Amino acid sequence: MPDLRPFPALAARKPLASSRIRLSALPEGTILQMIAGPQTPGPVDGLERLAAKTGLALRAISPGQWLLVGDRPTPYPQACRLLAALEPHASGIDQSHGRVRLHLEGPMAATVLSKGTAVDLHPSAFAPGHTAATLVGHVSVHLTRLDAEAFEITVLRGFAEALWDDLALMCAEFL
Amino acid sequence: MASLVPCPHCGPRPKEEFTIKGAALPRPAPTADPAEWFDYVYLRDNPRGSYAEYWHHTAGCRRWLVVSRDTITHQVAACRDAAAQGHAA
Repeated sequence: MPDLRPFPALAARKPLASSRIRLSALPEGTILQMIAGPQTPGPVDGLERLAAKTGLALRAISPGQWLLVGDRPTPYPQACRLLAALEPHASGIDQSHGRVRLHLEGPMAATVLSKGTAVDLHPSAFAPGHTAATLVGHVSVHLTRLDAEAFEITVLRGFAEALWDDLALMCAEFL
Repeated sequence: MASLVPCPHCGPRPKEEFTIKGAALPRPAPTADPAEWFDYVYLRDNPRGSYAEYWHHTAGCRRWLVVSRDTITHQVAACRDAAAQGHAA
């Protein structure tokens, strides 16, 4: 079998950092997308237990859809067991290879992001733990506020470099 | 303004995040007259005033919504999930 080595989408991009803004790529660990069946009132209870048990973080996308994310890769058999545990209330698919997570942090993080998205990022409207599927420029992303000054931006792998370059431009005045 | 659409799942979002399908019309019965189906598929009223349309929140929750807006003032009167009970499709 040929040698399969991880090839991070943003390997060629160096983290940008100043006292006001830091942009970096998060480790390409685990991203599982969960979708509830149309008849399921909401398997959130089970999902939260599962997330806590496996050390993954639960992020809402839209009604009946969630992401389970983590910094460490989940071995295939373990991911299969994890997804099987949710059937028949929800189905999941491994997106670890398909999406990339970026980390934007610093006192200017919300200011930088609001150049690209129309979501109200004021802490009163978008508190830590809050998530939103939206656009940054023309690129579809999934935003999560990790804490007052830190955001996680999940993007399709093929758009990761383009989004990075856009964010780098938006950060430029604070570097 | 219709440029900010109050998505019932995501809150106010700009129209750039949405794809408009067109008028939300009552679907004829499968056995209905071909003329009635032709009307349903091809003919549109283009009203001046209130209009109900299917909008897809493509860059957000990806749900189909029914947006009721005024074509003169662009004011959005209501916006609900197309799967919600009792929508006047």
